[in-house]
Amino acid sequence: MHIMEGFLPGLWCLIWFALSIPVIAYGIYKLNKLVGERRDILPLLAVAGAFIFVLSALKLPSVTGSCSHPTGTGLAAILFGPAITAVLGAIVLLYQALFLAHGGLTTLGANVFSMGIVGPVVAYVIYKAGMKMNLNFYVVVFLAATFGDWATYVVTSIELALAFPAAAGGSLTSFKAFAAIFATTQVPLAIIEGALTALIFKYIIQVKEDVLVELHILTGDAVRKIRGSAA
Amino acid sequence: MNNLLDDYALASPLRHHNNWLKLIIVAFGLLVGVSSSSPVTPLFITLSMGFATVFFGKIPLTFYLKLVLLPLGFAAVGSVVILFFFGTGCEVFSLEILGYRLVANAGGVEMAILIVSRTVSGMSCVFFLALSTPMIELFAVVKRLGIPDSVIELAMLMYRYIFLFLDVAMSIKYAQTTRLGYTSFRRSVYSIVMLASTLFIRSWEQGEKLYIAMDSRCYDGKFTVFESRRPIRTPEAVLASVYVILAIVLLRFTGNIGII
Repeated sequence: MHIMEGFLPGLWCLIWFALSIPVIAYGIYKLNKLVGERRDILPLLAVAGAFIFVLSALKLPSVTGSCSHPTGTGLAAILFGPAITAVLGAIVLLYQALFLAHGGLTTLGANVFSMGIVGPVVAYVIYKAGMKMNLNFYVVVFLAATFGDWATYVVTSIELALAFPAAAGGSLTSFKAFAAIFATTQVPLAIIEGALTALIFKYIIQVKEDVLVELHILTGDAVRKIRGSAA
Repeated sequence: MNNLLDDYALASPLRHHNNWLKLIIVAFGLLVGVSSSSPVTPLFITLSMGFATVFFGKIPLTFYLKLVLLPLGFAAVGSVVILFFFGTGCEVFSLEILGYRLVANAGGVEMAILIVSRTVSGMSCVFFLALSTPMIELFAVVKRLGIPDSVIELAMLMYRYIFLFLDVAMSIKYAQTTRLGYTSFRRSVYSIVMLASTLFIRSWEQGEKLYIAMDSRCYDGKFTVFESRRPIRTPEAVLASVYVILAIVLLRFTGNIGII
C-alpha cells in the first residue's frame, strides 16, 4: 500500500517524516550495536533486505485483479525484530520509489510509518504473544503477517483521511471511504501474504532450520517439535 | 519488472552531469509541486521535467509515457474518494450507486484535479532522478549528507544483491511458467511459495558466503566510495535557474486560479 508521490500535502509529509525519523534513528542505533557484536550480521541483513525488495517486486496471484504484491514486512519483523525492520524497510521503500516507481520521495515518511514501522510492530507483537500462548507456530506466523498487513492498510487509510478530511463528518468519514475502497484489494491480499509467509517458514524449517536457531527465533528443541507435529 | 529504472539511468547521457545540481532540481520540483495550490505549477513542472528526461536524457518517449500513466491508477482511486467527500460549493455532478447518492461539488472536483496534477508532477521529478542518476552515483552524495556508515553499507550491499536475486527469481519464474506453474490460482500460490522460499534460502547462503569472502579480504565495516568531480557547466546552471525562476513566478501568480 504505497502512497504515491505528491499525493499528500506538504504539511502532512513533514509530520510523517517527523514521526518516522526517531524510530529509524533508534533502529540504526540497534543496528550499530548488533553489527558491533556480530560482524557477520551485516551481509545477512543486506541479503534479507534484497530478498524483501525482490519479493515485493513479484506479483501475487490476486482475486480482484488489481496490482498486488507482498510487502514482506511480516517476515522481516519476525526474523529481525521491528527496530531493524524499520531501517531495512526505509531502504527498501527508497529503492522501490527509485527503481519501480512505487511510492515516492516526499511521501517516503508516510510510507515508512505505515509499512516500515506500524505493520512490523503489529506483526511482531502478535508473533510474540502467540508464541507465549503456545499456539501452533505456523498459525502464529500466519496471524502475524496477516494482521501486520492489515495494520499497514488501516494506517495508510488514516494517513490519507487525515490529509483529506471530508466536508461532512471530517476525517472519520473520509477514513471509512478510503478504507472501504482499499479493503477490496487489501483484505484478501493480506490473507494470501499471511499464508505465503507461513509456508515460507515451513520450507525454511524443513530445509535450513539453522537460520532460525542462529537468529534465536526458535530453539533446536522447538524446531524438532514443529517438525514432529507437521510430519 | 524486467527493466528497472536504474538500467536506463546507467545508459543515460545525463548520468555524467553534476549530481548535486540534479538533486537540487528534483528537490525543488518536489517541494514546489507539493506546496502549490493550483494545478498550473505542477503542470509546468511535469512538462519541464518530462522534456528534460526525454530530450536530454534520451529516454524513449513511449516508454516514458507508459511510466507516467502507471501512478495514475493509484491517484485515480484516491481522488475518487476526495472527489465525493471533500470540499463544499455548488454541485457539479452526482452519481447514484446502490441507492446512495454521491455528490461531487466544486471544491471536491478542484481538489481531485489538484491532487492528480501534484502526483503527476511529483512522479515526473522522481522519474527524472531515477532515469538520470544511477544509485551508485547517489551513494557518495548520501555519504556526504551524514547518513551513518552502517546504513550506507547495508544499502550498498542490498543494491548489489537486488539485481542478482531478481535474475534468480526471473529464471525460476520462467521455469515454473513453462511447466504450467501459474495456470490456476491454487497452482500459482504453490509456485510462488516455492519461488519465495527457495530464493530466501539461496540468498541466505549467499550472505554467509559473502561474509566469508569479505572477511578474508580484511573488510572492516567500510566501503570506500569514489565520487567523481563534475563541475556544473554554465549552460546547465542557466537552464536550471530559468526553470527555478519560472516555477516560482508561476507559483506566486497562479495561486488562486481554479478550473471551475
